[in-house]
Amino acid sequence: MGNITLSKVTKSFGDVQVIPPLDLDIREGEFVVFVGPSGCGKSTLLRLIAGLEDVTSGEIRIDDRNATELPPAKRGLAMVFQSYALYPHMSVRKNIAFPLRMAGLDKAEQDRKVEAAAKVLNLTDYLDRRPGQLSGGQRQRVAIGRAIVREPAAFLFDEPLSNLDAALRVGMRLEISELHERLKTTMIYVTHDQVEAMTMADKIVVLRAGNIEQVGSPLELYHKPRNLFVAGFIGSPKMNLISGAEAAKHDAKHIGIRPEHLKASKESGVWKGRVGVSEHLGSDTFIHVHDTGLAVGEEDMVTVRCDGEMDARHGDTIWLTPDMERLHRFDDKGLRIT
Amino acid sequence: MATQHSRAAARLMISPAVLLLLAWMIVPLAMTLYFSTLRYNLLMPGANPFVGWENYHYFLTDPAFTTALVNTLLLVGGVLVITVVGGILLGLLLDQPFWGQGIVRILVIAPFFVMPTVSALVWKNMFMNPVNGLFAYLFKAVGLQPFDFLAQAPLASIILIVSWQWLPFATLILLTALQSLDSEQLEAAEMDGAGFFSKFFFIMLPHLARAITVVILIQTIFLLSIFAEILVTTNGGPGLASTNLTYLVYAQSLLQFDVGLGSAGGIVAVILANIVAIFLMRMIGKNLDA
Ligand SMILES: Nc1ncnc2c1ncn2[C@@H]1O[C@H](COP(=O)(O)OP(=O)(O)OP(=O)(O)O)[C@@H](O)[C@H]1O
Ligand SMILES: [Mg+2]
Repeated sequence: MGNITLSKVTKSFGDVQVIPPLDLDIREGEFVVFVGPSGCGKSTLLRLIAGLEDVTSGEIRIDDRNATELPPAKRGLAMVFQSYALYPHMSVRKNIAFPLRMAGLDKAEQDRKVEAAAKVLNLTDYLDRRPGQLSGGQRQRVAIGRAIVREPAAFLFDEPLSNLDAALRVGMRLEISELHERLKTTMIYVTHDQVEAMTMADKIVVLRAGNIEQVGSPLELYHKPRNLFVAGFIGSPKMNLISGAEAAKHDAKHIGIRPEHLKASKESGVWKGRVGVSEHLGSDTFIHVHDTGLAVGEEDMVTVRCDGEMDARHGDTIWLTPDMERLHRFDDKGLRIT
Repeated sequence: MATQHSRAAARLMISPAVLLLLAWMIVPLAMTLYFSTLRYNLLMPGANPFVGWENYHYFLTDPAFTTALVNTLLLVGGVLVITVVGGILLGLLLDQPFWGQGIVRILVIAPFFVMPTVSALVWKNMFMNPVNGLFAYLFKAVGLQPFDFLAQAPLASIILIVSWQWLPFATLILLTALQSLDSEQLEAAEMDGAGFFSKFFFIMLPHLARAITVVILIQTIFLLSIFAEILVTTNGGPGLASTNLTYLVYAQSLLQFDVGLGSAGGIVAVILANIVAIFLMRMIGKNLDA
């Protein structure tokens, strides 16, 4: 089980409303990722679901049971914190066994479950160490282990990988996805790293200032961003947003085109510009093009993706051709025109 | 880089302070040691012959010594229990957000600033006095016979007075330690199904272990030498009921003018204090380097 439904949930800290009325449906077994800029209320939303914060109004249902007033322990959810929140004076074994001990399981049963979880997470050799004697990745796994043994209805992760270095982050990302495949338990995952969001999610929830901007699968968000905010937030490098006369040609207030949907050429094209910085990644090269006269934001800069061989020098003239099929149009309220 | 030169220079530079401290300690200690081997009584002027262990023999076989030793341990133990338990409870209470927190915290620290003689006198005359004291008044108000604290339960009364003085210190240290506890750990424990008592015993208390160790070590050092409170309240009495080692040494050397015996007592007290210190370090010192 693991259906979670939020209806008209709001949260205020004093006079400040952090979450305006919000509805959200999370279905059994889904991997849901909350993304959004810093301070948009992702953690707050997660903590509301966990029960660590009380909702100001609205209702939270978990598995068709009203959980709005239930204390955290009774909701059957497990949380992995950004700081891991391991108990420093307990061994790894005791850390993982803690929820079982609190639930009053007998010793043999506790040991069996801890061993099983440790095996899944490659922690068997570290069971008798203290958290202080582990690396960041291992601590992360202990925190996950402590969540797994409870066999919760859903896992909640609050930026669990943000304290790890880049290489480890990729590894742990795969491990968590793997875990989701195996357990098929609902997971709610908070991050502001959109690569994590795109690669792991079944469903992404894009938040801005507590509002849900769009809910959908990663590809849905990529191909059909509902508004300018989502268009600019999802995708790396960012979508080029163009307004003014060029947009008016397409009967829109703003148009957007992703760097990968622009073709660059030295001879001919639709838009002309001057090459600025080129970022060579080997497989691809991202070229920043200036002076296109397209009124792109304040910097007047368009990013274009070319293949790695493209040889463009700073100051060269370059021509860009958008893929018209992939052009996104937005009206004066910033909403997508279909 | 800590080269040999800089280390040598550092040693050279701290040496005056170390030498001064050493002289400060060594000279009185040496004189006490010397006096403790003499028959040296101010009421019997004349030669002060060397008598070896005689003073120690008298001091250690005196029944007052055992009583004083037990009283010292009771006093230290009692105050430690009260201040640590009370300090934890007060710390938990003060850690909650409430209106006027800042002022209340300062008020809690206040007793620490009152000098021991003054606070003991205040307790003696304004609270515990069987005729005029506040407690006597309260007893009478509910129709009970006033209880003469200092006469009937002298040691317990002194433990109470000293605890009152040291409670702020314990509270302050333990409160700071509590505040340094990562709130995510408590939240994690909450999600893991820990109730208040489980959170307290499994998360908070282990986190406080180090702070409690510090409180116990520091307080023990000061509590072993409690003197002023006894002097101004009970004078060690009735009988020997509230005499601790420090007070016994005072009584023998200054009330009976027996410098030799008092010095021997002082040395015994120093040795006992060191035994207690080593014992404590062994027992809880491992908490400090964990
Ligand atoms: N306990 C609190 N009291 C008052 N305001 C709070 C509290 N907790 C969070 N806020 C406010 O609520 C807003 C959302 O905070 P939240 O921690 O949910 O952001 P976030 O999306 O998780 O950001 P980040 O990505 O930086 O972690 C912020 O503006 C923050 O200042
Ligand atoms: Mg956050």
